[in-house]
Amino acid sequence: MSRLSLLMAGVFAAGLLTGPALAADTITIGIPVGLSGANSVVAPSVVQSAELAVEEINAKGGILGKKVVLEVADDASGAAGAQKAFDSLIFQKKVDVLISMETSAARNAGLPIVNRGKVPYIYTSFYEGRSCSPYMYVNAWVPDQQVAPIVDFFNKEGAKTYFLIGSDYAFGRGMLAFTKAYIEKTGGKVVGDEYAPMDATDWTAILSKVKAANPDAIITSTAGGAPNVTLTKQLRAAGIKSLYGNLAVDEGTAKAMGPDAEGIYIAGSYFTNIDTPANKAFLAAMEKKFGKDLKTPNDLSVPEYEAVYAYKAAVEKAGTTDAAKVIPALAEVAVEGPRGTIVMNKQRHAPLTMYLGQVKADGSVGIISSFKDVDPGEQCPKLK
Amino acid sequence: MIAQTLDIVTTAAILYAVATGLLLVFGVMKIINFAHGGLMTLGGYAALVTTQAGLNPWLAIPIAALFGGVTGMAIERFVVRPLYSRPLDAILATWGLSIIIGQLITLAFGRGVQFTQSPLSGTIDILGEGYSAYRLALVGIAALLGLALTALLQGTRLGLETRAVIMNEDLARGLGINSGLVRFLTFTLGSALAGIAGALITPLSSVDPAMGVPWLVNAFMLVLVSGASLVSLLFACLVLGGAQVLVATHFSPVLGGLTIAVLAAIILRLRPQGFARD
Amino acid sequence: MTEARRLSLILAVALLALAAIFAGPYVLDTYSVNVLTRSLLYAAVALTVDLLWGFLGILTFGQSVFFACGAYAAGLVFTHLDFSTGNAVLALALGVGGALLVAAIVGWLAFWHGASALYASVITLVLPIVATQLLYSGGTFTGSSSGLSGFMSFDLSMEAWFWLAGGFLVLVTTAAYIFVKSDAGKLLVAVRENEQRCKYLGLDTSRLKILVYLACAAIGAIAGYIYAGYAMVVAPELAGFVFGTELVIWTALGGRGTLLGPVFGALIVDYESAQLAGDYPFVWQLIIGVLFVLVIVAFPRGLLPVLFDLPRRLVGLLRPRRAAPAASVRLSTLDAAETQGVEPGEGPALSVAGVAKRFGSLTVLEAIDFEARAGELVSLVGPNGAGKTTLMRCIADGAERSAGSIAVNGYDIGRKPPEACVALGVGRKFQMANVFETLTVAQCLQIARVRHARPSLWRRAEVLPLPEAAMHVIATTGLDKQLSTPAHLLSHGMKQALELAMVLALEPRVLLLDEPTAGLTKTERMQIGAILIELTKKQGLCVLLVEHDLDFVREISSRVIVLHQGHIVLDGSVEEVVASELVKQVYAGSGHAGIDHETAPAPKEMPA
Repeated sequence: MSRLSLLMAGVFAAGLLTGPALAADTITIGIPVGLSGANSVVAPSVVQSAELAVEEINAKGGILGKKVVLEVADDASGAAGAQKAFDSLIFQKKVDVLISMETSAARNAGLPIVNRGKVPYIYTSFYEGRSCSPYMYVNAWVPDQQVAPIVDFFNKEGAKTYFLIGSDYAFGRGMLAFTKAYIEKTGGKVVGDEYAPMDATDWTAILSKVKAANPDAIITSTAGGAPNVTLTKQLRAAGIKSLYGNLAVDEGTAKAMGPDAEGIYIAGSYFTNIDTPANKAFLAAMEKKFGKDLKTPNDLSVPEYEAVYAYKAAVEKAGTTDAAKVIPALAEVAVEGPRGTIVMNKQRHAPLTMYLGQVKADGSVGIISSFKDVDPGEQCPKLK
Repeated sequence: MIAQTLDIVTTAAILYAVATGLLLVFGVMKIINFAHGGLMTLGGYAALVTTQAGLNPWLAIPIAALFGGVTGMAIERFVVRPLYSRPLDAILATWGLSIIIGQLITLAFGRGVQFTQSPLSGTIDILGEGYSAYRLALVGIAALLGLALTALLQGTRLGLETRAVIMNEDLARGLGINSGLVRFLTFTLGSALAGIAGALITPLSSVDPAMGVPWLVNAFMLVLVSGASLVSLLFACLVLGGAQVLVATHFSPVLGGLTIAVLAAIILRLRPQGFARD
Repeated sequence: MTEARRLSLILAVALLALAAIFAGPYVLDTYSVNVLTRSLLYAAVALTVDLLWGFLGILTFGQSVFFACGAYAAGLVFTHLDFSTGNAVLALALGVGGALLVAAIVGWLAFWHGASALYASVITLVLPIVATQLLYSGGTFTGSSSGLSGFMSFDLSMEAWFWLAGGFLVLVTTAAYIFVKSDAGKLLVAVRENEQRCKYLGLDTSRLKILVYLACAAIGAIAGYIYAGYAMVVAPELAGFVFGTELVIWTALGGRGTLLGPVFGALIVDYESAQLAGDYPFVWQLIIGVLFVLVIVAFPRGLLPVLFDLPRRLVGLLRPRRAAPAASVRLSTLDAAETQGVEPGEGPALSVAGVAKRFGSLTVLEAIDFEARAGELVSLVGPNGAGKTTLMRCIADGAERSAGSIAVNGYDIGRKPPEACVALGVGRKFQMANVFETLTVAQCLQIARVRHARPSLWRRAEVLPLPEAAMHVIATTGLDKQLSTPAHLLSHGMKQALELAMVLALEPRVLLLDEPTAGLTKTERMQIGAILIELTKKQGLCVLLVEHDLDFVREISSRVIVLHQGHIVLDGSVEEVVASELVKQVYAGSGHAGIDHETAPAPKEMPA
């Protein structure tokens, strides 16, 4: 046993010596992201966004004259992987800030480590809301911002009865609970709400109920990727013709679904078709940098790009990378990005311009209308 | 009522198509092939390649069978054969293989969800009820599969030898049956059937590297409950698949998702031979 | 090596390991301390997988659920009731209690008499799937997919958590190591090797499995509890199938049945995956998958034994092989006053009334009636397929027969399983020598005595008292010179003798022997015959013997029962049977049809 212990000690020691040498004249941004697991579909686009932002910033002299470097770690889209990724970034790579799009489970698992390491953390994924930490800011949407555009539009189209379908997990339940309350507040009627297991591939029973209820509109909030695709395919195959709003589909997945996706209504804070000079410049720069390897920018990757700029602005405002000074500054700085001007000044969340779109035959999203600076509502009343 | 009956029948048909390959392997080799899910995924991607090449979507079925069968041959020869005397290890090794297949597919095609063209779309009116045409077609396909397998087992020499090995391998070997060959051919056929199942579910399911996994446990449980008989498998699919549809409709889809696994576990506890006759 | 030295050596190594754990935070960087704190807890769960799979033979995919039980108990209590010392104790109690409850349910489902290993594995496979789904549908109570976080927990430093996790791992590993090397620990291997033999040695294997399973569940829950306190987050994936199979992969890679292999397997793979998975997420999983399949197919014992064998083999090339180690156990004859066998009851030792056995429409035994007294040696003869072995099985296992009743020592065996029939005084020796192949002769004999002498959970006995009859067999056959030989190295005849000695160690009143002399040499057969006669005459055993060798039967039997096609056709003294025309017909015509008793009822030649 002792012989073996020695051997083990050797193995560990070899692992420990691989830590990078840190230069004092760089600023390191840590990106824990789901390179494997459920988020692996969207993760490459997130990393590309961050790479572009860092390249642009370094080309203009970095932050406070320091060069910015990225450290990407795989959180495997889950809690256990996130713990390793956060440990590695905070304690081994000694990053100055964490900026990332992650699952809620990964974010929750990482937060205690962030508290221990005392680094600023900008969360860039839309989520079910009300996650609060003194070190964390969020620049993506929460249900309070996203649901209204779709429901208001369906109401205007004359929808009276709604059927809600979700995956049985925090985001699915959180979104639909808010949606249900909002529909009832605006005079609609929810004739059914059903949840399937998160890895469900068979929606037969739920779809039969939908057919029996024959609602004017359906709003779904499933787990990303496979469940979203299977539900849409089976819904179309079952010949259901109601208005179909999807709270969880992004442009990339809509494209992968092919003709079945056509006509789906989606709401979000970013679509590639947003017609602003900032967005056009962003898309052109992405195209130029990544060429044929470009992953279509989307509602999960663009906030990452903007968050890097938000951190830059906060550090410049604070004049230091000291977390205690950067954290209050993050609430004050405004970033002009592809999604418009964003300030994370509402209880660590940001008012956002929201768009309602509809998937076209070629898989791209046509924007129907926009809603300026939608308020995130009460998210973290204990934090200002 | 009609819709629910159709739901039950089509669900049973899909489960039957997914589980037959596993049943065949379990019957002859007494091992549970964990790679079944991986082979289904392979079948799904075979369908993807087929439709991307612009071929008729129905062609996906034989091409998927080919993919699954060839992979199955390799698996049987190099992994399963050395483990005949260690059935629990065979479970683990085939589980490892399903990890390998999943990761290789990820490296080749990416982690993303892919789109395949469905051979049939739209609905058909049955007694005034518009019902998915493809699901109805699956009932026919599953029935064809079942009949073809029955014909193979009952009507050919290989089938006779296979049945002999299922009943009593030692005796069969004593009678001069090359049970090694029977096992090899069975595993190949079972893997080809897994490939076919993978191709068959693509119009309902997404095509991604993990597409086969959610089907795996339900298929196991159905096979364990059925013993080694295609007839009792049909019965198990109807009863347990039906229970799943009913629970999902009348209680909750979450419970529905667990129905087959939990019911089968309890059935086996109370009646170890399950739905098979003594 | 004496028992005291052996134990102090183990404790010394444990203290060394504790010292290494203590030094850990001083020599490792913060990052490694953080990652390893969790790995240490995972390793404790991997250890339980090894106990269940490597030692007991239960392949389990569901140990993650018990880890989650402990973790979620802490998470739920601290989230919904706030953190306090009282609540911390409550959470630990709930976590361990919950895990025990779940384990009891799984045990009831998976380890009942007659459940197959495959079925048990499948149940442990369903368990994490059900558990994860329940956690998902728990809404804000369980935090669904996001899990619970942001709760308060013990205010300990990072180093203290490392010491706590490491100390816990060393503690359970040492305890488990002492246990598996103890007399009681050998039972686990015996059950894995040959569960049937264990049952027929009067051991309630289902109960043993459930007890070990419960203990493993408790260890997993405590590890999970520490995890939640340290990580301050719980998530459904802790209960998941993926984590459950990861534990199995670590165990397989490290080396099942070695305890230390899985512990180091978990530590190394988990630590390295933290390093490498970030850089090569998919390739890393591919490598693990390939390695796993390779190990299962080519090195089923895992990598630790391979690592250890290599230097040992190199040394072996240079140095001649040492002689077999001296026996660690001395045999002694059990004082007659201490024998614990069942007292001879009133009436016949064995009474069989109206017993029948049918497989579907096939009738193997029909209307079997006979009685046998203590001190009788009854031989069962008849051609192949007459139902002799089936009759033995019906007497030794209450669940076997289709109709009729059997009483041993005056007690009805009812539907009792084999281990309960052993308790009534039945001892069964199988036709094929049925011993524990990987255990030594002494260990085999020890396991046969477990029913009477409860084995120690931490020590190895130095003396093994055996009843006189068993000692007699051992001494006559020379087994006493091979006590430390593994059973699979014994000759066929010696295995038969060992099994007979094991059965006699049970101190049975009714001894069922199925062709004990098959394949033996003439001398060995003579020895066995003499022993049997002595057993019946001196010890007053009732022996029921299935035998083909009619000369042997004639020499030793006090009575003979002839079975033919499931019926008793003759029950009488040796002379009567030898003289019987019917028996000649039966044997001569066993291949032919047309024996008259098939059309007519069996001739009543039975003496009163």
